[in-house]
Amino acid sequence: MTDRPGIFRQILPPLMVLIAATAATEVWVRLFHVRMFLFPRPSSVLRFMAAHPADLLVSLWTTAKAALIGFLASAVVGVIAAIALCGSSLVRRAFYPYTVFFQTVPIVAIAPLLVIWFDAGLTSVAVSAFIVSLFPVIANTLAGLMSTDAALEDLFRLYGASAWARLWKLKLPAATPNIVTGLRVAAGLAVIGTVVGEFLVGVFGAGEGLGVRIVSAKKMGRTDELFAAVLIASLLGLAMLAAVNLAGRLLLRHWHASEQD
Amino acid sequence: MIAGLDQPTAGSVELDRRGIAFVFQDAHLLPWRTVLDNAALPLELMGVSRPRRLEAARGALQQIGLADAMQRYPAQLSGGMKMRVSLARALVTEPKLLLLDEPFAALDEITRQKLDEQLRALWAAHGMTVLFVTHSTAEATFLADRAVILTRRPARIVEDFRIDLPGERTAALRADARFAAVTRLIYNALERGGA
Amino acid sequence: MKIATGLLIGTLLAGLVCGCDRGGDKIELTLDWKPEPEFGGFFAAQKAGAFAQHGLDVSIKTAGEGADTWQLVATGKTQFATTAADQVLIARRGGADVIAFFAVYQTFPQGIMVHKARGFTGLADVFAHQGTLLAEDNSWLHFLQKKFGPGQVKISGYSGGIAEFLAKPDLSQQCFVTSEPILAKHQASDPQTFLIADEGFNPYTTVVICKGDLWRTNPNRVKAMADACRQGWRSYLDDPAPANQAMHAQNPDMDLSTFAEAAAAQKPLIETDQTRSSGLGSMTAQRWDALAAQLVELGVIDKTIQGEDCFVNPQ
Repeated sequence: MTDRPGIFRQILPPLMVLIAATAATEVWVRLFHVRMFLFPRPSSVLRFMAAHPADLLVSLWTTAKAALIGFLASAVVGVIAAIALCGSSLVRRAFYPYTVFFQTVPIVAIAPLLVIWFDAGLTSVAVSAFIVSLFPVIANTLAGLMSTDAALEDLFRLYGASAWARLWKLKLPAATPNIVTGLRVAAGLAVIGTVVGEFLVGVFGAGEGLGVRIVSAKKMGRTDELFAAVLIASLLGLAMLAAVNLAGRLLLRHWHASEQD
Repeated sequence: MIAGLDQPTAGSVELDRRGIAFVFQDAHLLPWRTVLDNAALPLELMGVSRPRRLEAARGALQQIGLADAMQRYPAQLSGGMKMRVSLARALVTEPKLLLLDEPFAALDEITRQKLDEQLRALWAAHGMTVLFVTHSTAEATFLADRAVILTRRPARIVEDFRIDLPGERTAALRADARFAAVTRLIYNALERGGA
Repeated sequence: MKIATGLLIGTLLAGLVCGCDRGGDKIELTLDWKPEPEFGGFFAAQKAGAFAQHGLDVSIKTAGEGADTWQLVATGKTQFATTAADQVLIARRGGADVIAFFAVYQTFPQGIMVHKARGFTGLADVFAHQGTLLAEDNSWLHFLQKKFGPGQVKISGYSGGIAEFLAKPDLSQQCFVTSEPILAKHQASDPQTFLIADEGFNPYTTVVICKGDLWRTNPNRVKAMADACRQGWRSYLDDPAPANQAMHAQNPDMDLSTFAEAAAAQKPLIETDQTRSSGLGSMTAQRWDALAAQLVELGVIDKTIQGEDCFVNPQ
């Protein structure tokens, strides 16, 4: 296995870039008297975060809950749907075009439907996250299931494996790298779907999610809070992606070239 | 065709389909399974219980000389070792007929010769029929009791003869004059067939 | 010869620089919602040529729903726009120098629409009972929450339509009293509206704003705009039909009879004793000061602002 640079050498370069960019932004805002309603000073964003740690953590938790539920739902449903699609070419031709629908439907358009069916709040927001993140899971899993090594399929057939055994012991494990790829994309999209969902159907008040904070802060001209919420939402996305990467590494560490760098 | 993976254009294939094992040109191991679980795969697919199939797999791997590598994964094995796992997997069902399709072609000369010797020893131990496809005249000479030479497509039989060499094939045999003679015979037959 | 050329060039340059004075360039008035009776006077002004009469070449634009129009004015994207008075205060507190110079609504037309079947008697009931309230996060929402406490109600995003209200009997939503309730009645629903102004929060609404800079450097233009608006609103109050036609063409979701009903319903909110004596669209520093004090108390802005800094009455 090739060498991985130590944890410090991995984190230090991007961290340096972040610090430098923040400092440069602070200088720019002060030097050019950029109006607060256009772009807040990084220092005021940080000050806001330092002044409201508990509130922001609660908001983060609310958003994270919905994002996790939506992501897990799309992971499970996506893989099952892909399995269903790979089984029969007729089913595939009939239904695959409609999975693309999940990719393209604008949440804004269906928000009223979400409120009517699920009531505003966690369920609707999680559904929004689910809808937005479903397609990559289906597409990548399906690609993986359909590209199983033909020779291995022959081998299984030679030994009289049932279709179920072929699926469970061959196709699904072989598709794991593809599934992980799909989940990587889905993780980021789930966070986006959650935040957008909160814009539209999130609940205000105590424990409101990050998306709700963003919309309120924008309306009330509190750009420091706005940017703080956006920053934390991005970090949530990063965290979920890191979790998927970690899971991918654990699953694939023994066998796949992509996990051995 | 013998394995049932393809259909003949003329003639027929008559055999008892049970008890066939196959070794491909690539080892085709499942990369997410250990060597032991790979070797046990055929028995697993046939529904054999876990303890019994693992025992059989261990036995086959020991025969092939991979007892130390049972918990390793294919990504950690050399080409030759992967092929040996593939062989062990083929043997684990105690087949009556073993089909091999240029299994050692991708390996280096020395590994290839060693595996030929190992295969011949396994055959001596188990007694199953072995059908081995190769493009190497030396390999054919070393391994076979009987050689069938085919033309290129559409394949027809050019020659079908017994190989006149001692039953016990040792490494030293390769330097023997008789060995070279048989190799020559096979080579000529191939030329006649236009291969 | 050189002197003549120099004079010619100088005049041309002077003409270019002072071009803004002559009002020959294109001006945009950006509205903060779809064309509806709340903007009737502006469309009437355009139809009747009131802008042109005052030397202004005005085109009316609609910003995306929920856009913060004061930001567009502050950054120079548009010269004039409509917004609510509390937004002006928020803008100024955030460092944007925008001022109001014409107020359409003397009385805050925002309300909350509930289902009559629920038997509510006031806004206090809305907050006290279980159910969902669709409302944007706005100063008035904070005001109501302070007055009635968080209560049992669940508050969530207002999407701009009435689909959810029609479908769910336990759902209430924010509304303009001249708009959504009328639409709901047409859909055979049972809307009942409570005016927020009745609870003590009453900012000027649909105020026309511009950069403070513009008032200082070119007061004539602002005055011309105010006059044109006044003329247009006078015309709309007297006969809304032509402007309604023009707006309906751009907003076919609202039918003409709704336009007519809404135009009639909003009249008392626009023309009051105050305007009859001081002119349509005029404002007082007293009300701006009161609003500023309320916003400080609600925590919407952190420091008070002088009312007189926020508006002018260009007469």
